[in-house]
Amino acid sequence: MAGDAARIRRQNKLGKGLFLLFFIGPALLIYAVYNIYPIFATFYYSLFDWTGIQAEKTFLGLENYANLMKDRVFFRSLGNNVLLVFASVFTQIPLGLALALLLQSKIKGMRFFRTVYFLPFLMSTVAIAILWMFIYNPTFGVLNGLLSDLGLQSLQRSWLGEKSTAMGAVIATICWQFVPFYMILLRAGLTGIPEELLEAARIDGCTPWRTFTRITLPLLMPTIITSATLSTIGSLKYFDLIFVMTEGGPDSATELMATYMYKQAFRFFSMGYASAISSCMFILAFIAAVAILSLDRLRSRGGY
Amino acid sequence: MSAMKKWASILVSVLLICSLAACGGGAANSGSSQNSPSSSDSGSQAVSSGEKKKLTVWYIDTGKRKELIEETIQEFMKAHPDVEVAAEQIANDTYKTKLPVAMGGNNPPDIFHSWGGGWLKEFVDAGQVMDVTGKIDADSYLPAALNLATFDGKLYGAPLAMSLTLFFYNKEMFEQYGLEPPKTYDDLLNIIDTLNANGIAPISMANKTKWPGALWLIYLANRVGGADIFNAAFERRGGTFDDPAFIKAGEMIQELVDRNAFVTGFNGLDYDTGQSRQFLYTGKAAMELQTSGYLTVVRSEMPEFESKMGIFGFPAVEGGLGKATDLVGGVSPVFSISSQTKYPDEAVELLKALTSKELAQRYVDEAGVVVAVKDVQYNDPFAIQMKEFLEQAEFLQPFYDQTLPPEMAELHKDTTQALFGKSITPEEAARQMEEAAQSMLGN
Repeated sequence: MAGDAARIRRQNKLGKGLFLLFFIGPALLIYAVYNIYPIFATFYYSLFDWTGIQAEKTFLGLENYANLMKDRVFFRSLGNNVLLVFASVFTQIPLGLALALLLQSKIKGMRFFRTVYFLPFLMSTVAIAILWMFIYNPTFGVLNGLLSDLGLQSLQRSWLGEKSTAMGAVIATICWQFVPFYMILLRAGLTGIPEELLEAARIDGCTPWRTFTRITLPLLMPTIITSATLSTIGSLKYFDLIFVMTEGGPDSATELMATYMYKQAFRFFSMGYASAISSCMFILAFIAAVAILSLDRLRSRGGY
Repeated sequence: MSAMKKWASILVSVLLICSLAACGGGAANSGSSQNSPSSSDSGSQAVSSGEKKKLTVWYIDTGKRKELIEETIQEFMKAHPDVEVAAEQIANDTYKTKLPVAMGGNNPPDIFHSWGGGWLKEFVDAGQVMDVTGKIDADSYLPAALNLATFDGKLYGAPLAMSLTLFFYNKEMFEQYGLEPPKTYDDLLNIIDTLNANGIAPISMANKTKWPGALWLIYLANRVGGADIFNAAFERRGGTFDDPAFIKAGEMIQELVDRNAFVTGFNGLDYDTGQSRQFLYTGKAAMELQTSGYLTVVRSEMPEFESKMGIFGFPAVEGGLGKATDLVGGVSPVFSISSQTKYPDEAVELLKALTSKELAQRYVDEAGVVVAVKDVQYNDPFAIQMKEFLEQAEFLQPFYDQTLPPEMAELHKDTTQALFGKSITPEEAARQMEEAAQSMLGN
């Protein structure tokens, strides 16, 4: 009798497993074919000298990686990526938080502003890139026009054309694009904070600043960590906007790992080398994600 | 829970094995299909009679040229009822990515566009392009154009249209300031100074994509060092890329920049979105060095400007070895056939139709371009002028980036953009090019 019960339970379990598989299956299949398999394939290709257009590959072992460690352009693009990570994490999230808090406050017409603030994120990246190329245009652009209207001609630059300003100009655009995303994410986090806590604080005579630092911010920390993770990984993999706006130029000033990988793969026909770059990007993004998540774990153990 | 995990892991491993196996199968396939060009006859007959033979064509021509290609393909299908042609027009930059992926994935189009030169050679070296020597009539094309599709004495495609690099300028503006198209480089410098004195940017350029600036280097190197300067260095017969002529060309570029010859911020401007042409349309700049495609773009973008527009060639440099009549140019499109095509005979027929005298004539009449096909009548006034430039030319220098291997081509464009941005010295740019040449082309 007891054996029967166990068998039935096992069968139920199996049935449940099959049932779940039925629903997860299709998505998992697509995920495996288009995400998991390519990751392993990239590692595999990175061990070869391969043009990507012919059937024969020559096995090199780790030579692609050895060359990568000697590649100045790669390190410059890595540096730009790191710059982008810091710029993104330390401007996008604070600005997103500021906007989210602003939207929380009870100002008239907030619904309208919420839509307006979110608009940049709804635009396609290529459209944003072309829009900002016109804004930065040294002769016809709005930015230089504004500076000249303010009598600040000395500050006028050919923003995307000079090595010293190109990266900054591009980063500003990227921030403009992504701040709304973090605004929405953090706003969702803010709505999750129980009203009673805030009310209790108010009754206890907490100043708004103290309420923010002692209640809102700590309770928002999980959302901020998620945002930071997304922002870091996104910045390490960033490609499209830079590719449209500057193609990594002038003189590699805005080259990122992803744009460099694209060049190696599709301009120079070095698919193996490009795969090595791609693998490095994966490893770096992986390490960054693990680091942030384990810091988060330490923090939550720390008792916040 | 653990049962689920087990199931998930089994599923993942099954998937991985499946996809790996699928990949292996693909590679095996490609090996066998490599032999197909040699046994060209058997392929077309193997198909059952009821089914249509399907050919795919990838091209990048836009506007009027696209319409003409489409019409030609329709006519071809009428004349060959057993063949179905699927033609796809692909944007220029997308195409440069899409074709290598299709070739690498063993799923190439039967007929594809290229610019000849180093880019096409990559595919030829990979065994992906069919040898059409003797299958098409080489005598009906201009030799200078055919050269770009010839490797080791074998022909790997047929050319249709050509592009020449010329100055496009605002005639009214030149008249207003009493200027004439320059005969010599010093004339050009005087024009630059006059225009600057009148608050007009002399030369417009959008150099984000780097090739517009490269046109200057190619012309200056030719005018200073003579017709053979590039080929001698490229073919490694006595010439080098750090030849004094290349250094001199770099110096001249930086002198032009110092002279304020170009519009502000040119290294960040985008050609495709019209950021350089804008200067000419609005009367803020007087001229631009560009390929003959400029005319097609002006006609669709700002037809009113055409009546004000004139063209002149790159002037001679005093004391230089190059002739003022030498031209910088290229061929686009060159159509080639994939070595994996199932119907080589039909593909050759279609290739002939796509590079025929009839289509070339319509290109000249309706799109206003110069073509690589012989015995064509020119009626469009700009096309007549361009054809005259072409006839006077004793030498046509192909664009470096279409001749050099891709990695050197990129270095050439990178260093030239840096020269314009003054972040590199002419000596250093030349040294980097020669160093790359030694490792990629040999001593």
